[in-house]
Amino acid sequence: MPIVVSESVAERGKKDARRHREKHWEAIKEKLPELIGNESIITKRGNKTYKIPLKALDIPHFRPSRGEMQEGFGQGPGQPGDEIGHRPGQGQPNMPGSGPGEDYIEAEFDPEEIIALVLEDCALPKLEDKDLREFTVEIGWKIAGRAKTGVWANLDRRATMKEGVRRFWNFLEALKIETGLDNLTCFRALKQADGLLSDALEILKDKKITFEAAAVEPWPIYTNEDLRYFKIDEDTEEQSNAVIIAMMDVSGSMSDMKKYLARAMLFWLNEFLNRKYSRMVIRFIIHHSTARVVEEDDFFSTRESGGTNCYTAYEIANSLVETEYPTDQWNVYVWHFSDGEDGNPERTIEELEKLIKQGVNMVGYGEVKASENYQWFTSDSGLWKTFQNHFGLKEGKENGVPMMAGDTKLPLLCVRIEDRENLLPALKAFLRKDRWAKW
Amino acid sequence: MVKQEIGRLIDIEKRIKDMAKEMGLLTTDILFEIVSAQKVLEGMSYMFPVNYSHWTFGRDYERNRTIYENTGSGIPYEQVWNFDVPRAYLVETNPFALNVLILAHVYGHVDYFLANRYLQHGRSFSNVAEEARNAAIRFQKYEERYSQKEVEKVIDAGMSIMWHQNPDPFFEEQDEEVVRERLVDLERAKLERTHDIRSEFKKTETQGEIEKIERRLEHLLAKTPPEPNYDLLNYIIKRSPKPLKPWMIDVLTVVRNQARCLAPNQRTKGGNEGWATYCHIRMVNQLHKEGLLTSDEHGTANKFHSGVTRELKHSFNWYRIYLALLENIKERWDKGRFGKEYEEEQDHHKRSVWDTKANLGDQKVLQVRALYSDRMLVEEFFTDDFIREQQIYIWMGIPHDDGSVDYIIAEDDPAVIREEIKQMCTHYGLPQIIVENGNFNGQGHLLLKHVWTGFELDRPYMNATLEKIHYLWGKKVFLEIMMDGKKQAISYDYQNKNGKNGKK
Repeated sequence: MPIVVSESVAERGKKDARRHREKHWEAIKEKLPELIGNESIITKRGNKTYKIPLKALDIPHFRPSRGEMQEGFGQGPGQPGDEIGHRPGQGQPNMPGSGPGEDYIEAEFDPEEIIALVLEDCALPKLEDKDLREFTVEIGWKIAGRAKTGVWANLDRRATMKEGVRRFWNFLEALKIETGLDNLTCFRALKQADGLLSDALEILKDKKITFEAAAVEPWPIYTNEDLRYFKIDEDTEEQSNAVIIAMMDVSGSMSDMKKYLARAMLFWLNEFLNRKYSRMVIRFIIHHSTARVVEEDDFFSTRESGGTNCYTAYEIANSLVETEYPTDQWNVYVWHFSDGEDGNPERTIEELEKLIKQGVNMVGYGEVKASENYQWFTSDSGLWKTFQNHFGLKEGKENGVPMMAGDTKLPLLCVRIEDRENLLPALKAFLRKDRWAKW
Repeated sequence: MVKQEIGRLIDIEKRIKDMAKEMGLLTTDILFEIVSAQKVLEGMSYMFPVNYSHWTFGRDYERNRTIYENTGSGIPYEQVWNFDVPRAYLVETNPFALNVLILAHVYGHVDYFLANRYLQHGRSFSNVAEEARNAAIRFQKYEERYSQKEVEKVIDAGMSIMWHQNPDPFFEEQDEEVVRERLVDLERAKLERTHDIRSEFKKTETQGEIEKIERRLEHLLAKTPPEPNYDLLNYIIKRSPKPLKPWMIDVLTVVRNQARCLAPNQRTKGGNEGWATYCHIRMVNQLHKEGLLTSDEHGTANKFHSGVTRELKHSFNWYRIYLALLENIKERWDKGRFGKEYEEEQDHHKRSVWDTKANLGDQKVLQVRALYSDRMLVEEFFTDDFIREQQIYIWMGIPHDDGSVDYIIAEDDPAVIREEIKQMCTHYGLPQIIVENGNFNGQGHLLLKHVWTGFELDRPYMNATLEKIHYLWGKKVFLEIMMDGKKQAISYDYQNKNGKNGKK
């Protein structure tokens, strides 16, 4: 009976497996608004891997409900009560949701993977070179060609030798034309004259050839013109430098939740820009009634009481830009997170306008209104309203998040963030390409 | 595989076929294909040698491939189809002895296909493989025209209810009007009986009965379906008011036919695998005895055999348990351990040495493989003795607060275990859902009913399935279910998505 050797077929399995993974990916995407606010990712602390409960991809069907207890058949020695196995705990048992048809499996991800996923999914702008201001930076020296002048140490011996030999042949040819004598005779004269064309001509005319030779043996004859030097130039590179000046209100009214939201925003903005710029610096400024530059840890942990003067932070930002990050060498992003209370909004506007005049890429203002103390939230909160009135900004909503943006001459974006769900839309708004590609 | 080996394999295959005949097995020509491991993995995942594209097949393929690539024991075993000319795969990279074992195993399966009354029935659908091959091409065209997503939606929905078929595997589907006529005739016959009684003797109850029948008749003439219908997909294909487009009907029909073709395999999974294993071990031993397999090769074959039939602490090994069952049956009938006298013998010693030299084992197993479904095997042959001998138990996972789980033997009472295994083998654990009314509320709504067989439905899955049915039906879908163990008729309104169940 036939036993046949089969030919290989198209790899259908792989194609459909890809579709299955795509569906998984769709499921992950649904989780992103939650993921983006996840503490263990943002702090990069805690678990090495992060578990995302994903919908198990199954075709829903009618099936018996399973009890609370897992059970099944087995075989082997033992009596009721005997233990036949143990599964160690993995942190908290994950309680799946109860949405339709949702059976959960836990997929493990590296925080880095999630970051990549988020950035990819956000459809965050793919920055092209023209969007980045690049600056020329010296990185050393390089050989940039040959020159006829230079210091002796840079003499390109090889090139010079080549020039010399060429000159020898030229001289020889000139002698032949001038005198009508043969190669060897001209060579002997040239040799006798030690390479000096006029002397050789005289020797030939006077017929005083004393140098004997059996054949023409070329040697390089140098004049100053034949010397070739290496041309050394400064080596430079186009670099893209960016500085984020992160400013945060740490006055008494900034709760942990508000600071958390601010931190989450900064984390993602930083992650994103870090992938775009070859050099990326963040400076942290905190302020209440006065402002100061601090380290990252202090930025998030400091909590102080007292009044709020936002302009003090903008002041420091202005002087940082002036002294350390001039806009002709740096892409400057100034982001300010506050709950909107400000003791002196007029001064704040003054300083903000100064920043824009300096030519920073963008000033972002995030007003954090954690829903925990919702009573604070009124639409005519200090700074929000002040910006709106002063700059004539139009308030709109994007994905449920209130926003105001200036025109191309006014790179100012204001976003209001109330909870974790708002982070993703806010982030997208902050990084939207066309918003800052124009200038 | 080198040419020499193929030559030897062909010789051995001839001998195995003869051997099968000697054992009383039914045989036919089998097409063996020597293929790459990948093709077997595809065959395992796609249900047919060539089938349409769908992500569930891709998922299974990836799962099978992962097992194959990452575990040492992952050798793709046999893949055999119950076709007119049965087709089987041999993996080119398998050890020679394993391919011999698979040849023998496949002959066991093919005999089962030919002899078992449930699988004989499955063979009547054997053109489904050809249909699957054509469907693959047609579906691709649909994808080009209507987008992959749209086609996928229809396949997803069809698959979600494809196993809901008439519980009687020999049920021949009838046209709705034929059914209606039969039912109407039945009612009319009842009515005529009452006409025979002279009117003065008619009691008021009879009068009431007549009215009831008349009402039923009137109802019957308009009702769809005239009687409850188990074949959800068929009913939807024929009656959906959505309306379904011709290409959708084509897709759903293919999905349904494939499920109908494969369903009998599920009813006989244990018997079929047990039988193929029962055959292959005998054949391989015989080949060794005849010198067709070297001792080394025999050892390799045995190693794979014991791998397949190993005792599993945490799950039900169909190969092991059903092989043991067939061996048990053979022994009992060889030694005459059946019948009233034996059953009534209480003396343990007498039972254990009982041997009437009846020698009916071979005959009995051949009979069993022809007539029984898995469920029937459990009912008749999973005796207390057998369950104890096999040390089958039910375990339970006891979760702790820290997320760890202890697995404990919970039950070893043979009566309970027999009942549970029977449950597992009944409709492959599928709840029975019937179409009660296809014009519910007079508005073309669909009323389904869960037939109570002792367990509630998994709610999230139920809701998601109803969503799929709703997609196919295009109008409201209702489902009568049982809740909290009480015979409580409630309805599920798909529109009310959040699962608030309104009283009917």
